[in-house]
Amino acid sequence: MSRIASLTVGVFTLGLLAGSALAAGDTITIGIPVGLSGANSVVAPSVVQASELAVDEINAKGGILGKKVVLEVADDASGAAGAQKAYDLLIFKKKVDAIVAMETSAARNAGLPIVNRGKIPYIYTSFYEGRSCNPYMYINAWVPEQQVAPIVDYFNKQGAKTFFLIGSDYAFGRGMLAFTKEYIEKNGGKVVGDEYAPMDATDWTAVLAKVKAVNPDAIITSTAGGAPNVTLTKQLRAAGIKVLYGNLAVDEGTARSMGADAEGIYIAGSYFTNIDTPANKSFLAAVEKKFGNDLKTPNELSVPQYEAILAYKAAVEKAGTTEAVKVVPALAEVSVEGPRGTIAMSKQRHAPLTMYLGQVKADGSVSIISSFKDVDPGEQCPKLK
Amino acid sequence: MTEARRLSLILLVALAALVAVAVGPFLLDTYSVNVLTRSLLYAAVALTVDLLWGFLGILTFGQSVFFACGAYAAGLVFTHMDFSGSNALVALGLGVGGALLTAAIVGWLAFWHGASALYASVITLVLPIVATQLLYSGGTFTGSSSGLSGFTSFDLSVEAWFWLAGSFLVVVTTLAFVFVKSDAGRLLVAIRENEQRCKYLGLDTSRLKIVVYLVCAVVAALAGYLYAGYAMVVAPELASFVFGTELVIWTALGGRGTLLGPVFGALIVDYESAQLSGSYPFVWQLIIGVVFVLVIVAFPRGLLPVVFDIPRRLLGWLRPRAARAAVTLSTLDLAETQGVEPGNGPALAVSGVAKRFGSLTVLDAIDFEARAGELVSLVGPNGAGKTTLMRCIADGAERSAGAIVVNGYDIGRKPPEACVALGVGRKFQMANVFETLTVAECLQIARARHARPSLWRRARDLPLPKAAMHVIATTGLDRQLATPAHLLSHGMKQALELSMVLALEPRVLLLDEPTAGLTKTERMQIGSILIDLTRKQGLCVLLVEHDLDFVREISSRVIVLHQGRIVLDGSVEDVVASELVKQVYAGSGHAGIAHETASPDRGSAEAVSSAKREMPV
Amino acid sequence: MIAQTLDIVTTAAILYAVATGLLLVFGVMKIINFAHGGLMTLGGYAALITTQAGLNPWLAIPIAALFGAVAGMAIERLVVRPLYTRPLDAILATWGLSIIIGQLITILFGRGVHFAQSPLSGTLDVLGESYSAYRLALVGIAAALGIGLTALLQGTRLGLETRAVIMNEDLARGLGINSGLVRFATFTLGSALAGAAGALITPLSSVDPAMGVPWLVSAFMLVLVSGASLLSLLAACIVLGGAQVLVATHFSPVLGGLTIAVLAAIILRVRPQGFARD
Repeated sequence: MSRIASLTVGVFTLGLLAGSALAAGDTITIGIPVGLSGANSVVAPSVVQASELAVDEINAKGGILGKKVVLEVADDASGAAGAQKAYDLLIFKKKVDAIVAMETSAARNAGLPIVNRGKIPYIYTSFYEGRSCNPYMYINAWVPEQQVAPIVDYFNKQGAKTFFLIGSDYAFGRGMLAFTKEYIEKNGGKVVGDEYAPMDATDWTAVLAKVKAVNPDAIITSTAGGAPNVTLTKQLRAAGIKVLYGNLAVDEGTARSMGADAEGIYIAGSYFTNIDTPANKSFLAAVEKKFGNDLKTPNELSVPQYEAILAYKAAVEKAGTTEAVKVVPALAEVSVEGPRGTIAMSKQRHAPLTMYLGQVKADGSVSIISSFKDVDPGEQCPKLK
Repeated sequence: MTEARRLSLILLVALAALVAVAVGPFLLDTYSVNVLTRSLLYAAVALTVDLLWGFLGILTFGQSVFFACGAYAAGLVFTHMDFSGSNALVALGLGVGGALLTAAIVGWLAFWHGASALYASVITLVLPIVATQLLYSGGTFTGSSSGLSGFTSFDLSVEAWFWLAGSFLVVVTTLAFVFVKSDAGRLLVAIRENEQRCKYLGLDTSRLKIVVYLVCAVVAALAGYLYAGYAMVVAPELASFVFGTELVIWTALGGRGTLLGPVFGALIVDYESAQLSGSYPFVWQLIIGVVFVLVIVAFPRGLLPVVFDIPRRLLGWLRPRAARAAVTLSTLDLAETQGVEPGNGPALAVSGVAKRFGSLTVLDAIDFEARAGELVSLVGPNGAGKTTLMRCIADGAERSAGAIVVNGYDIGRKPPEACVALGVGRKFQMANVFETLTVAECLQIARARHARPSLWRRARDLPLPKAAMHVIATTGLDRQLATPAHLLSHGMKQALELSMVLALEPRVLLLDEPTAGLTKTERMQIGSILIDLTRKQGLCVLLVEHDLDFVREISSRVIVLHQGRIVLDGSVEDVVASELVKQVYAGSGHAGIAHETASPDRGSAEAVSSAKREMPV
Repeated sequence: MIAQTLDIVTTAAILYAVATGLLLVFGVMKIINFAHGGLMTLGGYAALITTQAGLNPWLAIPIAALFGAVAGMAIERLVVRPLYTRPLDAILATWGLSIIIGQLITILFGRGVHFAQSPLSGTLDVLGESYSAYRLALVGIAAALGIGLTALLQGTRLGLETRAVIMNEDLARGLGINSGLVRFATFTLGSALAGAAGALITPLSSVDPAMGVPWLVSAFMLVLVSGASLLSLLAACIVLGGAQVLVATHFSPVLGGLTIAVLAAIILRVRPQGFARD
């Protein structure tokens, strides 16, 4: 390539890049980085819908502090590199006032340094392995301390003494099962097996061979969403294993699509579509009205997003401004009435949540067996207030 | 253009680029600065991919792993050991050291003598898969799938990081550019084009590949280190196969083998993807996939070179292109030539050599000696094993049994490049040169073993040994120095290859059908050159030939091979008169052919073994 | 013990079924068809459509093979043929193709995980062990595949021409064999096999746009290590597949996932012909 050519390209590119930033006028912009492609792309549409519903409802009531609320969605490709691009886009180009994000831990971790640079409030709405702390971040989804107890307690009551744990080898899988093991042993149970397969593994032959050899009373799994989760269940059933089976990582939607193989699985969560409260019923009605045939079923990952945006509204109104230095402390002091109940991110940046234990039925629906009110998230960020 | 002007022009452009980097943060908005800082570092890694793939011909999917080495070293040290000046140096050392170690292992696996290009690519494919899995399995130490984040890093502003990343890229690109345009850089192209010829010119291609691979690993690791310092996050996807392939895609789109193409390709595509992938997540990937396939199939040179052909052609009309820099030849003083010191005994001694392919015996019980000054012709019908014998003499790993001693040194199992060091020069049957390089450049590569090429300059003088100069002058190659080899006539290519082999200063010259396809005049030229070489220069020449008239004219001795065995070894008259040879060529049954013994003044087997000794290190 | 042996045998059978198509293409055309994973995914989705349409699940296999064959024909003409003389570029281009196939499937079907109905459910009692019936059936199917292919290569004229092209293409062309046709037929057959393999593995796992990828690397390491012979491929599948199962069971499934790739790389370094007989 001739040198003149390269200089031309250089100048040309610089010219392309001299872009103009959007002026932030009298609207409040909320940035939504989400996995439109990549591992989270199945659930991303429901997250976007939940966000849009929240914004609609807020704007119908006059917005926040009289200003209209606008959403900016960006694709984080469910990973670190994509998240960096998405956060730079949202914070420095679109100049959002806050970020409300449902994303993978890798994406969140990659975005946090940029949030620190941008100095804006950040609400993380996905369940995760816990103990992620940042001066600007609040979390309104569950952590292992909240999700494991219902299943283990129930199994104990059913007389299970020996447990076999299966997980995908990644931060969330390991974190969940580490906590599960501790909890089981603290409550008198015994963990007779503890196996991890690679994160994208679809062949559980070796693990299942061990399960059959040891014959535990119960199995508890925490595998990566999508294929690993589904293939484990399928292969479990194909191998004829019929013991108590608690799945810490499957949601209603996936359970339904698994068909007959999913029957009998115990799942726990902070949201199921058939939670019988007026708040949930009116939420479901509203979301159906807005999206009609395009509705993506609300789930454990999209509902917290809805509630988080409402929480941001409350915090801004309490602080009287969108300035981060005032809004961030206010987020700990407000509470929201959402489909999951009363949510306040008041315990070390995390939220006590009502957890439900359910069992999957033959037709794919989940029947709620019991509920546990306001389960404490435990010591998540003791160094932050 | 003189060397000084050429180099100062490169420096000037580099300075201009540095100025552009310096002004960048003031002209661009914060968003672009943030995104470009990362893109600049990715572009540096894409540069290493181009060096390996575009220049050296190694398709590598694994440069991402070295990037991750540097990044994770910083991430791990800063997370588990806190941040400090000395820790930063420790992290740098660990990152570079880790990359070097990994590259050495991969190099050992992928670039050894027998490895094919496909195998090397496959190894570079397995590397990221293993690396990502190791990172996932690292538990809380490596952060597993979530990576490591929130560690303290260098306290620099965003603009400072941009300048750091930008200047890193400019420096690395400039150095790489100077290198690939230098004499040493041409070696990369030669290896990519015709690795076999390089080996037979005495170049240890495996070692060269490994060295380049190590350097590229270090550059990628440095880029990764800077990345971790800036982004303050490391994740397993940095080491992934997906990122590794993205680098290859950027290189292909930008134009492999151009250095600047991949750099700009990486910058543009990465920057744009930040904008477009948000709006069209699936379609963007699809578009990239389609464009990529299109580029590979239809525009293998890449897109940017196609785009820049237009202005270049316009400029070409306005200002005629200067001819490729010419090189002046000169004759090497005999005192200066570093020929191989002859050992005791004959120039070439072959004893008991056999070659078997499974149950098929191609050569058996080959015994003969040749002295300096002899011109031995090897004749025999097709399939007799002549070329196989040549191969066995030039490559120690070829034969199945027996010993070959060159100049008193046993070639053992040495690879071709080591045999060249012992004094063997092989000219192939099909003209085996570097097609896209000019005559002068081919000759320069031939001298690379003796005169180490510069890492940054282009030599203007090329001293050649007398033998090579003689061939060049006689055949008129000295008037074609700037012609690319693929444009030469068949006869000229043969002459070029002969001069390249003579430039090695061999003591034993192996020629495989040197007159094939030549005109009568050209044949006479070659004949007189060969006689000259043996009589005046004292070479020992072993010649495979079918043209029996030619053999009769120039040989001092003839060896007849038939079905893998020597049937006659004697003077030209002996062979011409022999009934046996007529039978062999006429194709009568092999049952009745007796193998005539060698004449009395040939060295015995004992003499050969006493002359053998290992090559001193 | 019995269960482990069954695991090894069934794993080897599955790997064999997946790798034969790749081997054929590699042997004849000397390129690694990176689109193999994408074609497997295509086959998986063909199986999905078949079972969703209510047809007999066993039919999914030939239907998937058909889809694969059609895609293979298009790919060979448009992408592989121009890259005849550039094998490394062919690898890249087929890799690009598998990205395209994956993205097209995502756009058409969404990124969700689907299920194709298993043709055979339940377990069988083998020597006191109750074992997945479908996995056992796969052993039979893989064997049938191997025998069928061998019969094709050894017993038919096309097979003879194919073997000639594998051994020495220039010479074969010199003898009047239309190597272009042989390549076309081989690639089509290889793609059909890939599609069928995709359909075969869906009852074991699930159908999603990236389902072919984990198999791709193992499959082509196996192919590289077997040279060009179906028999040495079988040997490689048993040895390396067995190693994978053993490592996964006795060490960790994580290391097990890496076993085939790493072992194959080392074997090739030490013995470049791999499992081939010289």
